[in-house]
Amino acid sequence: KAQPRVPHDYRKATVVRSVCLNCSTVCGIEGHVIDGKLVKVSGNPEDPNNGRSLCAKGQSGPTINDYPERLLFPLKRVGPRGSGRWQRITWDEAHDEIARRIRRAMDEGKPEEVAIHVGRSRVGEETTRFMNAVGSPSVFNHRAICSSNKRAANYVSLGETDWETGDFERSKYIIDFGANVYEAHQGAIHAAKRIIRGRFDNGAKFVYFDVRMSNTAGRADEWFAPNPGSDGAIALAMGNAIIAAGLHNREWLDTWSNVAADDLAKWIDRYTPEWAEGVSGIPAADIRRVALEFAHAAPAAVAFTNRGSGAHYNGFNADRAVILLNAIVGSIGQPGGYCYTVEPTRIPPQVFPHPLPMPPSPKAKSAIENPPEWPLANKWQRMKVGQIVYRHLLQGKGKVQVYLSYTLASPQTWPEGRSLALRVLKDEKLIPFHACSDIVYSEMAHHADMILPDASYMERWGFDTRNNMELRDYVTLRQPMVAPPGECRSFVDSLIDIARRIGPDTAKYFEFKDHEEWIRRRCEPFGKRVGEDGFAYMRKHGVWQDTSKPKYYALYDWPLSAEELKNTRVDEATQIVLRKAADGREAPVGLMVKGTARRGFITPSRKFSVYHPDIEAAAQARGFDEDGGKGMPDWFPVPSIERMGQEQLHLVTFKWNVHTQGRTQSQKYLSEIVHHNPMWIHPATAARHGIRTGDMVEITTYRPHGHGMRGGGEVVGKALVPAWVTEGIHPRVLAVSNTLGNQFHGRAATAHNGPRQALEAAWDRAAVGEDADLDERVWWDPARGGTGAGYNVNAILPIQPAPLVGMQGWFDTVCSIRRA
Amino acid sequence: MPQQPQWKMALDVERCIGCHACSVACKVENQVPLGSFRTKVYYWDHGSYPQVKRDFLPALCMQCEDAPCLKACKSGALSRGADGIVRIAQHACDSHGACEKACPYGAISCQPGQIADKCDFCSHRLDVGMEPACVETCPAEVFHFGDARDPDSAYSRFMARRGHETAVLKADKGTRPAVAYRGHRVEMEAKIPEGRNHEGWSYEIETWPSLDAHFPPQRRVHWARVEPGQNITEYRAEAEGGAA
Repeated sequence: KAQPRVPHDYRKATVVRSVCLNCSTVCGIEGHVIDGKLVKVSGNPEDPNNGRSLCAKGQSGPTINDYPERLLFPLKRVGPRGSGRWQRITWDEAHDEIARRIRRAMDEGKPEEVAIHVGRSRVGEETTRFMNAVGSPSVFNHRAICSSNKRAANYVSLGETDWETGDFERSKYIIDFGANVYEAHQGAIHAAKRIIRGRFDNGAKFVYFDVRMSNTAGRADEWFAPNPGSDGAIALAMGNAIIAAGLHNREWLDTWSNVAADDLAKWIDRYTPEWAEGVSGIPAADIRRVALEFAHAAPAAVAFTNRGSGAHYNGFNADRAVILLNAIVGSIGQPGGYCYTVEPTRIPPQVFPHPLPMPPSPKAKSAIENPPEWPLANKWQRMKVGQIVYRHLLQGKGKVQVYLSYTLASPQTWPEGRSLALRVLKDEKLIPFHACSDIVYSEMAHHADMILPDASYMERWGFDTRNNMELRDYVTLRQPMVAPPGECRSFVDSLIDIARRIGPDTAKYFEFKDHEEWIRRRCEPFGKRVGEDGFAYMRKHGVWQDTSKPKYYALYDWPLSAEELKNTRVDEATQIVLRKAADGREAPVGLMVKGTARRGFITPSRKFSVYHPDIEAAAQARGFDEDGGKGMPDWFPVPSIERMGQEQLHLVTFKWNVHTQGRTQSQKYLSEIVHHNPMWIHPATAARHGIRTGDMVEITTYRPHGHGMRGGGEVVGKALVPAWVTEGIHPRVLAVSNTLGNQFHGRAATAHNGPRQALEAAWDRAAVGEDADLDERVWWDPARGGTGAGYNVNAILPIQPAPLVGMQGWFDTVCSIRRA
Repeated sequence: MPQQPQWKMALDVERCIGCHACSVACKVENQVPLGSFRTKVYYWDHGSYPQVKRDFLPALCMQCEDAPCLKACKSGALSRGADGIVRIAQHACDSHGACEKACPYGAISCQPGQIADKCDFCSHRLDVGMEPACVETCPAEVFHFGDARDPDSAYSRFMARRGHETAVLKADKGTRPAVAYRGHRVEMEAKIPEGRNHEGWSYEIETWPSLDAHFPPQRRVHWARVEPGQNITEYRAEAEGGAA
């Protein structure tokens, strides 16, 4: 007879506040711990962004901790790399070997050959400190495969920040270019919650552009499916229509824009809705109508973007064009409009200062970390061009001796992941030593030489933050809810220990016992602000919000205080307020506007930048003439798309609402909902190829054309996937999700029902027991008639960094298909 | 003695974004096995390109006043409390399965060898002053829950404002549900299986454009990239994703 289930007795629960990390959104959470086990998480009611709400991924968190396939002990490989044969070692052995190898690279004068490659780790300050102590600049990240075009567009236009904060709750009109905000946008829940309130409680209209009917498209007031790569053309044409109708905010533009209203009108004159119809396929009448509706709702009107517009060859300019659309109607910084805060992605060092001494920035250079081909990649922040790491290693443009990977699933999530990335990861000449920190036995871990079993995000420390929809500064604390099982240890604790072992020259920057002590020390000065023990405050609340200042509406218009005006003068020609520092050098601090000194935008002109001199300079230096080197948010075609043959199609990818790209497939309740990813295809296109739902289709992809691209038109690879014929997709577009198709990560991820297999050396039944669900009830296992674990299409998506910024053109892939 | 609360729920489905947070919150909260659901979110795609829409329908136990499951249970394990909630006494369940077959809403799971399981509005959470897990987590503020006798409860406030726009699902079944819906597409009620809690195939995206609750085998898509029995030590280049 089955055992009755015991409901959680919350009277016995202790509550620990922390932050989710099951996606990139940064939601405050509360963990409910009963008898030493984390049984449930819910939203932290004090979190300004999400409050008590969490998404499916957030709710799934507790299943990570006791996943039976968790790695529990440090392992060293005993067979050839990738053979899957491992031996248990001690942490001392693991850290000694890593430290010894790093020391050798440092002693050889090649600290840059020590590399760390991270996904969304949220311990960037810690890893950077470690690498600075080693003297290596080789901190590789994932920003260029994520969001660098969008961030660069914000930096160019606003100067202050890389991430806008639409004031959706108070908006009357919301236009969304390619941000699947109901499912997968960064900040999805925070924004979705407020867009829903805006629509149903404030009467806002919601218009969405995407090639695929996501949940956002399916629930928008209007959904338009433009031709891929045409979002920027639509945004410019909307601006054109608004200015032509005289509905632009002339006063705002003449006051705040570095291109005044009349000059902007002249420039935008060429981008008519009729022209944009030819480019995008969206009727000119619709472009004009939506534009005028948007302008009438201004300033409570916001147009925003994400991957759909940005992950293109021309995505940087597309996102600039959308930001410009907000400026044209004067909604920048206004209630209900396109708002932003002071740089929201950093833990404010003046509030939470770093423990001293700090290691200096490295002198060594890396052509992988800072590739000269993309001069804007590292201009505003070090966004880098992560997708070229493996290709550059293969081409000998850089070398590594020690490769540390963390929160990274490049074989699954990188373009040419399971092809090129895996080829390099397997090559012991190109990567002589690879230590991988992970939670479960992943594809990354499988191709490492040493595995460091990490603590989950519910078992470790860290600060986190992002843009706050309430337009204030805020910081959250990630703290352990429970102790990690087995010998799991957080990666930062490993780094601290390794730094101490490398030598006194690195150890001196790590004079703290562990990550907890580091966090405690950063909270000490903060205590003065809240009038109590700062560490205790953060542990109790999980979040701190600075309410000492007004909300960041119209930050550019904030007057400079008498204090801020000390030692300043006004430059007559530009009206920029300059302050003289002690060393005699002058730096801009504001802008004179109608006789008063205002903060302005943190751009060279101190105004909203439509034109930007740095872009013009960078384009000229690289011989990139597609935008004419004019530094304006021009639209130009994606070369690969321009050359597409009649029968060729676009291949795009997308993220599910219950999955991140690489981390969630092992979570049983998420994979139970989505484990199968057929290729979306329009009925007319399917009919032309004789394809019905369920048929297998062979997709062939081709290398891109364009500036800096090589081998244009050559075959990248072929994939065999099943088709799903749906009305919910643009006729020239095919879509396959970027998640799924795991070959590791255990039974939930690979759709295997039955007993736990292999890798016994890594597991301990006493620490993490078996889960009857995985042994008996994985109903999507093909052996039980299920549809399996899906297909990973990233293997055949070419590496294609966009010009200047270097963001991956995820949605520029050209392919052909045939029924298999 | 104070009056018993009358727990009721109203869902404003117009706001739903199909995120499955309610469903996963429920599964973690109630340790619901794979293959069984106390709450599920159905999808329906309809229309022709480019005029296509997607609707959602979160479904759970209706806590019927005239509950077919209760009448069908031979072991007396099911009962309806004074607070309106239909509950299962786990120790009394004999896994007979009649309750699952009787439910017009597919809300009870009673698989062989398992104790019957269904939503009880997270009674153990109500006991300590917490909301049901689905209600608490919903980012779209779809769920309005509370004591129908308390005019200040979220349920009563919503019903006072929008009650005239609500309806129950499958009203023709005559079970008098305690859960009301606003803004759902009536056609979608056909997607909720009768007499069966969960059929694996009903969650695949190939079913989104369909209003069928069950999928005959000949219409199912079978797709398996990872061969059964292949384990990680047997990983081979063959499985590297088809890169030429």
